[in-house]
Parts: sequence; C-alpha cells; structure tokens
Amino acid sequence: MPAETQNHDVWVVIPVFNEAQVIASVVEDVRRTFPNVVCVDDGSRDHSADEIAKTGAHLVRHPVNMGQGASLQTGLSYALARDGGRFFITFDADGQHRVEDAVAMLRLARGGAADVVLGSRFLAQSRDIPRIKRAMLRTVVALSPTARRLRLTDAHNGLRVLARPVAEQLRITMNGMAHASEIVTFLARSRARVIEVPVTILYTDYSMAKGQSVINGVNILFDLSVRQRGG
Amino acid sequence: MWIKVVLLGAMVLTLLLFVRRWYGVKMQAGKRVAFFAFIAANAVAIVRPDDVTWVANRLGVGRGADLVLYLLVAAFVLAMLNTYLRFREMDRRYTELTRTLAIREAELVNRERGLLPAHHEHATVLPTVTVDD
Repeated sequence: MPAETQNHDVWVVIPVFNEAQVIASVVEDVRRTFPNVVCVDDGSRDHSADEIAKTGAHLVRHPVNMGQGASLQTGLSYALARDGGRFFITFDADGQHRVEDAVAMLRLARGGAADVVLGSRFLAQSRDIPRIKRAMLRTVVALSPTARRLRLTDAHNGLRVLARPVAEQLRITMNGMAHASEIVTFLARSRARVIEVPVTILYTDYSMAKGQSVINGVNILFDLSVRQRGG
Repeated sequence: MWIKVVLLGAMVLTLLLFVRRWYGVKMQAGKRVAFFAFIAANAVAIVRPDDVTWVANRLGVGRGADLVLYLLVAAFVLAMLNTYLRFREMDRRYTELTRTLAIREAELVNRERGLLPAHHEHATVLPTVTVDD
C-alpha cells in the first residue's frame, strides 16, 4: 500500500511554544518520514509561527497561550478533521524525540499489536537522565493509580502513537502540563490496548533548559488532585 | 466547645464541595438562601451587637467579635472555592472557543498555503469544518 509506506495515513501533532530556534529543523526532520505534520503554535511570543510557516507543516495558531494540553487537543482535532488519518503521533517541539523511535512505535500500532503505543524513558538504558528529574518522574508515576494499573513506567513522555478510534475518543481537558496523566487515566478507563516501548530522549542543552522542571511536578500533582473528582 | 463543631463542619462542607461536583439548581438555591441569611445576620449584629456575644458565649467563644472573625474565615474559604470552580468552568469554555477559532483560521491559512485541497471558487460563505465521517 503506497499510502502506508509513505505514511500518508499518519498525522504528527507538535505543540509549539516559543521554539523558534529549533522548530523548523525539527519539523523538516519529521517531514522526511511523515508528510502530514500539524504544529500548534500556542501563542508564542517569539517568531515560532513564521518558522513553521516556512516549512511544509500545517500551522494552527492559538491567539492566546493556553498550555500544552490544550495545544495537543487542538492539533488532534485539526488532524482528525482531515481525510484519511489512521494514526496520530504526538511529538515534542524541542527536538528531544527521535523520528526512528516514532517509526518503530508506529510499526507496532500498524501491526495491530496495540491501539496506543507510548514512549518510555525508563524501559531501556536511557542515556543521561538527570537524577533529580528521574526521581520526579517516578514519583508522578507512583502517585498515579492508573499509571500503575497499566504498568507504565513513564507517565510524562511526549511521544505517543494513537490509533484513530482512540484519538477520536480522547478529550484533553487539562490545558496545562497535567494532560499527560490525564491521557494515561483515559487510557486506563478505555478498552484501548496500550503498550509502552523504550525510546531515547536526546537531552540537549536546549531541551534541558526548556523541559519540565521539578517545580512543575508539584503543579502537575495539584492539578490532578483537584480534577473532576467523582464526576 | 460548640464552635469547634461549627468550624469543623464548615471545613468538611468546603472539602465536599471541592471534591464533588455540586452544581445545578439545588446548589444555586442553597447559595441564595445562605446569602439572605447572611444579610439578616448582619442586620441583627448591627442593631443588637450584644446578641452576637450571647450566641458566641453559647458556642463557647469569648467575644462576639471573635465569633464573627471565625465565621468570616469559613465564609472566605467557601467564597474562594466558589470563585475557583467558576474560573475553571470559564477556562473550559474559552478553551473551546479559542480552539474552534484557531482551527477555522488554520484551515483558511493552510488552504492558501496549498496544504489543503482548494474549495470551489466563488465560495461566498466560509466553508464549515468538514469531518470525514
């Protein structure tokens, strides 16, 4: 199937916030493998939108900053409204993910092994995760009952492959960083078959400076604890 | 001391409100009744301050002013919570609005960039979002 070999049935969703420095090269790199890319510029104050416009990626702009969770949902909604998308990949804008990993994850989803494939930093010998960051991420997993039920090792990895039925059902309501745990909760409650595969994170100086800080972990825990209890 | 019961009760109520979604007509009515009771209590406290002290003594609080302070704290927390929940709901709505606008705008822009199939020329009305199923 030419549509499959050239990945025309795949949409890559990249939430972008102030990534003008790197976004164009990240997008071009992704587009060598996946032609359909949608970048959601989340009200960036730098010229991220111009950089995206130079590439062949679809550009969606939030007029105001709404957070990464909101951007992901916007990108998914946009991609779902296009014809022919069967798989949806979420990908970080700062260049910390490798396209090879996305390809390998997609292969599993295509093979029918799972409806959802999540990337994990902890399954394999991941390189150089700063120790304090590792502790923070592990704590988030440990405190999330649903992540434990799915036996996930990494609740906050931005690299995910979703099959269309799952992407259609997903409604991200946590606009901020807690969306990652929200997605995991959604998956645990749904019937989707979820697997986790090891991915390599490229901790460059750039992505380190932008990545989630430990303080952010506190915010994530608060957001999650007050969300829609009993509802 | 009865005041402890009252204040702990207020805290439990706050917590319940926080973790359960008590919206809707009943809640609305409850808030309004509470508001009028509050006005009435104010009027009484202004006209007969000694009565407040009497109530305070009954509850095991020394002075009426102290009782008012305690209740104020409880009322403040409840009001803050109410505001928080309302803000969250507004946030949800405005996210929805922004998303709809952003996607519609993007479809126009990306069509112009040649990334989306062109619509029939002379379309005077903006094309509505097309969903493929």
